[in-house]
Amino acid sequence: MRLRACYRLGPDLRFLSNLDTMHLLERALRRADLPYALSQGFNPHIRLSMGTVLPVGLWSEEEYFDLELAGEIPIPEFIQRLNSVLPPGLYIRQAVQIGTDTPALMHSVNAAAYTLVLDETDFPAAEFFASLLVEQHLVVKSRGKKKDLDKDLRSGIYKIDIEEHRPGWTATLWVAAGEPLNVRYDELLDLLEARGLARNRIKDVYRQGNYIYQAPAFASPIEKVK
Amino acid sequence: MKDKLFRDILPRVSKPARYSGGEYNMIKKDWNLCRTRMVLAFPDVYEVGMSHLGSRILYGLVNEKSEHLLERTFAPWPDMESLMRAENIPLYSLESFRPLMDFEVIGFSLQYELSISNVLNMLSLGQVPLWAKERREEHPLVIAGGPVAFNPEPMAEFFDLFIIGDGEEVLLELLDMVEQTRGMKRSERLFRMAAIEGVYVPSLYQVTYNESGSVEQRISLHPQAPERIRKRVVKDLDRAYFPNQPLVPHLGIIHDRAVLEVMRGCQRGCRFCQAGIVYRPVRERSPGLLKEQARMQLHSTGYDEISLASLSTLDYSSVLSLVKDLVAENQAKGVGVALPSLRVDAFSVDIANEVQKVRKTTLTLAPEAGSQRLRDIINKNVSEEQLYEAVESAFRSGWLSVKLYFMYGLPTETEEDLLAIPDILQKVQAIGNRCSRRPVEIRASLACFVPKAHTPFQWQGQDSIEMLDEKRRLISQKRRKNIKISFHDSRVSFLEGVIARGDRRLAPVIQRAWEKGCKFDGWSEYFSFERWMDAFAEMDVAPESYTAGRSYWDKLPWDFIDIGVSKEFLYEENERAMMGELSWDCRETGCNECGICPALGVALDIKGEESCV
Repeated sequence: MRLRACYRLGPDLRFLSNLDTMHLLERALRRADLPYALSQGFNPHIRLSMGTVLPVGLWSEEEYFDLELAGEIPIPEFIQRLNSVLPPGLYIRQAVQIGTDTPALMHSVNAAAYTLVLDETDFPAAEFFASLLVEQHLVVKSRGKKKDLDKDLRSGIYKIDIEEHRPGWTATLWVAAGEPLNVRYDELLDLLEARGLARNRIKDVYRQGNYIYQAPAFASPIEKVK
Repeated sequence: MKDKLFRDILPRVSKPARYSGGEYNMIKKDWNLCRTRMVLAFPDVYEVGMSHLGSRILYGLVNEKSEHLLERTFAPWPDMESLMRAENIPLYSLESFRPLMDFEVIGFSLQYELSISNVLNMLSLGQVPLWAKERREEHPLVIAGGPVAFNPEPMAEFFDLFIIGDGEEVLLELLDMVEQTRGMKRSERLFRMAAIEGVYVPSLYQVTYNESGSVEQRISLHPQAPERIRKRVVKDLDRAYFPNQPLVPHLGIIHDRAVLEVMRGCQRGCRFCQAGIVYRPVRERSPGLLKEQARMQLHSTGYDEISLASLSTLDYSSVLSLVKDLVAENQAKGVGVALPSLRVDAFSVDIANEVQKVRKTTLTLAPEAGSQRLRDIINKNVSEEQLYEAVESAFRSGWLSVKLYFMYGLPTETEEDLLAIPDILQKVQAIGNRCSRRPVEIRASLACFVPKAHTPFQWQGQDSIEMLDEKRRLISQKRRKNIKISFHDSRVSFLEGVIARGDRRLAPVIQRAWEKGCKFDGWSEYFSFERWMDAFAEMDVAPESYTAGRSYWDKLPWDFIDIGVSKEFLYEENERAMMGELSWDCRETGCNECGICPALGVALDIKGEESCV
């Protein structure tokens, strides 16, 4: 049995690396004594595959993993048993059974949404972000593999949602992930800083979720396989 | 504080998860409902400190078995330290994010001589005065324990008190006393704590030294201060507390696995080994209890490996059946068993093969010296034939990598003894290439011999840095292909040796070295020999006087620490060493009269069903 799960990684766990989170999930699966499948060979490991990497320093509302089980188990029971042994802040939101031919998360997720929280009330958020989308090019220095080369993020910024709060507002930026263009959250922050929104004014940044984008729709990796 | 850390500080440091707490199984008690509040301070980085078994035991003991509170703190890595200093953030605990000054007791675990610079750095980051005499009523009690405390003198004046011996025997008693004496004058509190067996309060004594450097006199400043401090001992390991729900760190640590303590103590009697003397006698834990603890610990942590810890796990009387049972019970779940060190014989390799059913690792053996003559002197009871049998058996059963531990700079060592090391390595390689289908990898790690307090070699001189470097060149000349030899830094070992057999006159040097920026001295990227030597020069202390040989007539700085083993026994062992005479393990050949059993009212405690020697 193979399943796909969506989980929340809360703010207190934002400093975990992707590998840390993977180990945490593996240990939780063993604590819960769930019927996980093991790989063959000298170093047997749990057949768990993580979705796109969540950068150290970010927390997330919706992250995903795929898991192979050696036996059958009702989904609600799986969720309940795993949640009972996860640390505070991390829990499984939902899970679905997926077919053995479902493409891996790594190869299907191609978009992500990042939310910025600002508690300043007098910042003209709507105009500020609207001004981004009228540009033809939005160039920053790459922080990824081609470090310090110019990188144009514009074609990878799909849409920006602004929400007013009292006090302040949130902006959610829907951007490209993976190949061919990977918009990193730190590059986004660099871009905003260059245009006048300093980092230290942003109260919080988190990943809203990961998506499979087929213009014009963003589907979650779970909606996609339901 | 937590908000500021999470928002402004931690995003700017390497490995922020070291400083964010919240690990699985963390115990966060209600601050206001606890009787006393203590923080366990480990003077090294998080990944090292979290791997330390003793700290796991104390953390669980205080928090689960008493109404006291014990939180944790570690030495921040220098990038974090400079941010903390720049932003005026005091060193804090990982449970409550409270500064060290909020605690009544700060307890340091001293596992390594050179961690003392980190102790001072942590106190300074906690805004706690460094010297015990500078601390007032409002300051926390600064205490320490661990193997380094068996010679507490070089760092005595930084601490209010030391716990000598098995910490879990004393700590709750001490915390009760902290509560009972609250509100009294600091000196009165310390005096009352000194009445607890195993507690050493340095400020109750004055020490004077002869011109030659030996101790002239130790004077008790209080008529009732005990003359000797006897170590505390857990008599029955089965009845001692052991954590079944240890913390599970978020980031990878050095020993990232569940741990069983199968026994405490070792009676092999290697003459260079401090742990082998100070942790006597051997006390085993019952196999049935160990299997139960394994079940509970794996269930509460989800680790994929369980390690059998002790000074010499292969000497545990039921090791074979225990390993077989643990492997059988956990193999299907992908959970493996790990052995920290092996004896040099074929039996050990058989056990290693048992373990290898789940995970394949490097086989590690410790012959310690190259020649039979020298192995007899250090009482490392291993023959060359045993070594070759062991590696042959290993290579035949599929191991491809062997690591061998040696020491150099040992007493009476000659060129011949040293050249025997590369000879052994070559023979091991030849056996490997004969018995294995693929080329084998041979690695050797060479540590410098450092004479330690409370060992038969406590009177021996330590080779100078120049001598050690000369010996290193000699061994290196004979290096061969596919044999990797690594040497410990002789300058680090020199400094270890100074502190290991040091006295109170070193304290100003230690403080000066810290002021000059010494920290993380166990880490080659931060160790600065020059700064330390400058500190010695400025304080007008000659470090070589501490690494020199001592006379049997000298009063040694650590003689007042009563470890149960008699000084006469150490003396006789040193004499036997010089004659090349072996001493045997008392479990096999009867009592060697080391003195431990009558002194502490204890006995060897062997719990297994089988003998495997």
